[in-house]
Amino acid sequence: MSTPVTAIPTTEPVVVNNRATVKQRLTSFMPLIALVTLLAALTIADPGFLTQRSLTAVVQTSAPLVVLAAGATLVVLCGGIDLSIAALCSLSTVIFALWLPDLGGLTTLAVIGAAGAIGTVQGIAHVLLRIPSFIVTLGGLSIFSAIALVISDAGPIRIVEREATNWLTLYVGGIVPMSFFVAMIVVAAIALVLKLTPLHSWVSATGYSESAARLAGTPVDLVKVGAFTVSGACAGLAAVMLVSRNFSGSPTMADNLLLPAVAAIVVGGTAITGGHGSIWRSLVGALVITLLRVGLPIVGVPSAYEQILYGAIIVAAVALTLDRSKVLIIK
Amino acid sequence: MSTASPAEDVEVAAARRPQPRRGVSFRDAGPPIALIVIFAVFSALSPDFRTLGNVQNILDTAAVLAVVTCGITFVLMMGSIDLSAPGIMGASAIAVALLVANNRNDNALGLVGVLIAVLLAAALGCLSGLALVLLKVPSFMTTLGISAIGLGLATLMFAGVQPNITDTMLESWAVDRLLGFSYLTWIAAACVLLGWLIQRYSRLGRYAFAIGGAEEVLSLSGVKVAPYKIAVFTLAGAFYGLAGVMVTSQLSAGLVQAGKGFDFAAITAAVVGGTLLTGGRGGILHSAVGVLLITVLTNGLVQVGVSPYWQGGVQGLIVVAAVAAAVIPQRRRNQVTK
Amino acid sequence: MTTDQQIEAEANAPGPVHALEVRGLVKHYPGVKALDGVDLVVHPHEVLGIAGENGAGKSTLLKALVGLVRPDAGEIRVRGEKVRLRSVVDAANHGIGMVFQEQSLVPNLTAAENIVLGSEGQGVRRGIYRWETMRKLAQEQLDKIGSTIDPLARTDTLSFADRQMVEIAKVLRIEERSQHPPVIILDEPTSVLEPKEIETLFTQIRRLREFASVVFVSHRLDEVLEVCDRISVLRGGRSAGEVLAADATPSELHRMMIGSTGSDNHYHDSAAKRPNLPREPMLTVRGLSGKTFRDVDLEVHAGEIVGIVGVHGSGREDLCRALFGAEPTTAGEVTLDGKKLDLSGTRAACAAGVGYVPAERKSEGMVGPMSVADNMTLTKQKSRCTGPLVAPRKQATLVDSWIERLSIRTPHRGTAIQRLSGGNQQKVVLARWLVAGDVRLLLLDHPSRGLDIGARSEVYRLMRELAGSGVATVLLADSLEEAIGMSDRIVVMSDGRMTTEVACPSGGKPTPLDLVKEMV
Repeated sequence: MSTPVTAIPTTEPVVVNNRATVKQRLTSFMPLIALVTLLAALTIADPGFLTQRSLTAVVQTSAPLVVLAAGATLVVLCGGIDLSIAALCSLSTVIFALWLPDLGGLTTLAVIGAAGAIGTVQGIAHVLLRIPSFIVTLGGLSIFSAIALVISDAGPIRIVEREATNWLTLYVGGIVPMSFFVAMIVVAAIALVLKLTPLHSWVSATGYSESAARLAGTPVDLVKVGAFTVSGACAGLAAVMLVSRNFSGSPTMADNLLLPAVAAIVVGGTAITGGHGSIWRSLVGALVITLLRVGLPIVGVPSAYEQILYGAIIVAAVALTLDRSKVLIIK
Repeated sequence: MSTASPAEDVEVAAARRPQPRRGVSFRDAGPPIALIVIFAVFSALSPDFRTLGNVQNILDTAAVLAVVTCGITFVLMMGSIDLSAPGIMGASAIAVALLVANNRNDNALGLVGVLIAVLLAAALGCLSGLALVLLKVPSFMTTLGISAIGLGLATLMFAGVQPNITDTMLESWAVDRLLGFSYLTWIAAACVLLGWLIQRYSRLGRYAFAIGGAEEVLSLSGVKVAPYKIAVFTLAGAFYGLAGVMVTSQLSAGLVQAGKGFDFAAITAAVVGGTLLTGGRGGILHSAVGVLLITVLTNGLVQVGVSPYWQGGVQGLIVVAAVAAAVIPQRRRNQVTK
Repeated sequence: MTTDQQIEAEANAPGPVHALEVRGLVKHYPGVKALDGVDLVVHPHEVLGIAGENGAGKSTLLKALVGLVRPDAGEIRVRGEKVRLRSVVDAANHGIGMVFQEQSLVPNLTAAENIVLGSEGQGVRRGIYRWETMRKLAQEQLDKIGSTIDPLARTDTLSFADRQMVEIAKVLRIEERSQHPPVIILDEPTSVLEPKEIETLFTQIRRLREFASVVFVSHRLDEVLEVCDRISVLRGGRSAGEVLAADATPSELHRMMIGSTGSDNHYHDSAAKRPNLPREPMLTVRGLSGKTFRDVDLEVHAGEIVGIVGVHGSGREDLCRALFGAEPTTAGEVTLDGKKLDLSGTRAACAAGVGYVPAERKSEGMVGPMSVADNMTLTKQKSRCTGPLVAPRKQATLVDSWIERLSIRTPHRGTAIQRLSGGNQQKVVLARWLVAGDVRLLLLDHPSRGLDIGARSEVYRLMRELAGSGVATVLLADSLEEAIGMSDRIVVMSDGRMTTEVACPSGGKPTPLDLVKEMV
């Protein structure tokens, strides 16, 4: 049976066999393979799909998802999970709409800053109170939704001045939508900072083995709070993107982005157990998810299947990428 | 790497002698006391609150949450988590609306329809359990996935036209009263009783409790825990299914969103009632008190003029505070928190 | 035993029928031979003691006897019949049960449920509990050992000693399963008991002998001698002999446990290399108290290796972690090189030049999936950075130089550390503290645990070198022999307090027995 539990620590050989590396290699290419396969399948289903216009539309749609997933990936890499991103993003759209008349052009930065600060608070609650991250962020989810409902009076707030978000609707070089360009910059910036500083070591060590990381003097708590901060700030940026597209802020605007974001992360091949993965993977994952979303109607599948697909994908992708050697008892 | 004497590894842990607990702990006595205090405070604050009608209202409101919480309590007792209630409830709410007499088709299965909806829900719950046990995916992920699948099924069945029920039996559940309480309230009470019996007198309930206490010991004693885990998730799914049916009865219509927010509300109720998220502590009666606490609190806040939109926010604060209160005394320096 | 069974058993194996017999048991772990041909015989109605140092193979042997470890070679015979044990349940069906060192009871169930767990029989019918029957079933077992515990009490409300009784009662249920006098294994049952409780336990053990065979394992030799009829000694995974308890003395027993390895110098003890110790100590601990240790005073000089020895529950592991900021302290002051040491967290300790090698290498010492290079530079990030940025070339040069210096056998610096052998992993973990050259105090918690002789030897050499370069070292050794071989001074801890200090200079080493006297 599948209950790998013994009270006594087993002493298994640690000399890694090659099977694991084959599996690793497969999972590391899985998102790219999925992306190419999807593109090919959609092109076969609708030969008109592979045009610049529809591809532009796809990447534009994907931008908020990419940003959300990128931020939350950091938390997952540290071994936690952030379930509050979508609710925080919704709240941020409301805040944006409310602050815009007063702050004007500064609103974007202010909203990102505020969302980042909220993320920090969640991170601090997680590390100081030692509450599991999914409970903290589940609580955050409820609280942010409530705040958003109350301050918006449960309805959308229209945005009259569109100058502040207009820049996001432009195209770089006439082709690449600005929102996707910004998303790419965010992904690249996070990836670069991780790669060029000790942060990558710290994040992976924290995710792979928190106790070993702590006993090696890694600033585990700081790293985690930082991850939640970036995750929050990304939710804020995603909110600005949503507002620029919808010309309004609404307390439930981003709520349906939670599952796609989590799916994007795990489809990208980042292990939910922490440590293994990268921001780039989540970018690919987000593109896969967006293609699925856009592509289902093209293939003739009712969009109601979208949810079922997300559910199945999440479970399957987690099952494939999970580091089982780490957890003897799966709860 | 291997060690020749791994049992020595635990010498430090074994050396710390756990002290026995005695008497009724604060965790057991606290929630009922808090319930009474909160009730008293709101009674003093609001004349509308202390009416008999409002008490009936509170219990009627608590009914659905109580049934959901019955299900989730068993999962939490094992130390797992279940976020699948919204999806499963949505699926069963639509399913039952389409199976009993309604405006969309000619079905009029009555109680059999209710049974089928509950079975569908149990099957979804079983899927969560299977994914947990066979694929070894942590429960919060499997149930998140199953929730999405349930919502998808519900959306498919919904097919753009809201099914309104015309079945008098199901409609009467929410309307007719027995001894002053609606049938739904009695159903909820029966569920709590059933849950308590399962927890106290069935192997399933006791093992669920034991899995939360020391899963590895069960395996060491030759108990295969996997079937029990699957059974617990199935049982929980059945409870969610019934709750979905109850929502349909309340609304006289099947809604995809029937279960929205119930996952979190139920976790909150269970945790506030004294069930530990790490498992092995608490139970149905604890959870029932937690449900009343949450319902009284939200009802009272509305009665004293707080916006109903705050409901979720209050729950969020409560659950974080309750978990923190349970965790802080056991904090260790080099503790791993995921 | 009936004649039928005897005949059947004798057909299987000629010679006298033993309750349990082990012949030539072998178990390999990568790099370590945990069991190297162990022979053991347990007679009916006797109490057999098993003695041996850490790493002698006791735990592996016990696990093999209850089906938790599958031996690579050799055979286990129960009442003359050859058996293959696949699980604890399997062993129980053959009449072998173990009272685990860390108790294997479900804390939130009743004592009765724990006693019948997994074999409820009539206690559960069609999945429904019958509490009264269950209570009776449990009471039967408790009566066997004359315990007065309420079977329906929740296990976590019982005292530790009572829980041990419940555990013994649980193990005794195998008597009904196998229909034979059972073999009960007690693994370190006394390690956390009060003297009075130990007396009660011994009374129980003598009572058990009436209808069972008992295998008793303890670190405390006086206990082994008191309660056992016969003692089998293990050394280095082999049987090193047997004595009758009535004839043996602790010193004799101890001599058998450690053998005669005094002549070979694999501890690299060389007086010539010892530098003169500076007058001022590097580490000064004054009145340090924590959860499991009280009022500890300790001084360690630069270049000195101080071993801390003590039995289970002496608090030395926690003390060691506390000095690294990984366990909280309640009182006391620690200075390192004249400056007050901040014990608030591991980061502060690292910054102050304290290094710690945890006993649990796999889960606490290293980050398995990360590369050798990243593991080595994990703590001293500055050593691989130019300014705030990581300089891959600098890291490569640094790591390669240490791989060469410590002769770490790894395919590449980028190889995941979990693919290395234990000894090489440990060298990487040690190197972590050395790369920046600023470590002044090293806390080594069982640094040679699980390593084979060659790897051990290299770790010892490394420790000597470091001490020679002026690092102060605190060593929690795997065995007394190791503590004596490596240390310049040995501090004995007992029940959380420092009891004695024994000088341990080269050429004037105490014997393990001198220390054992102080430890108990």
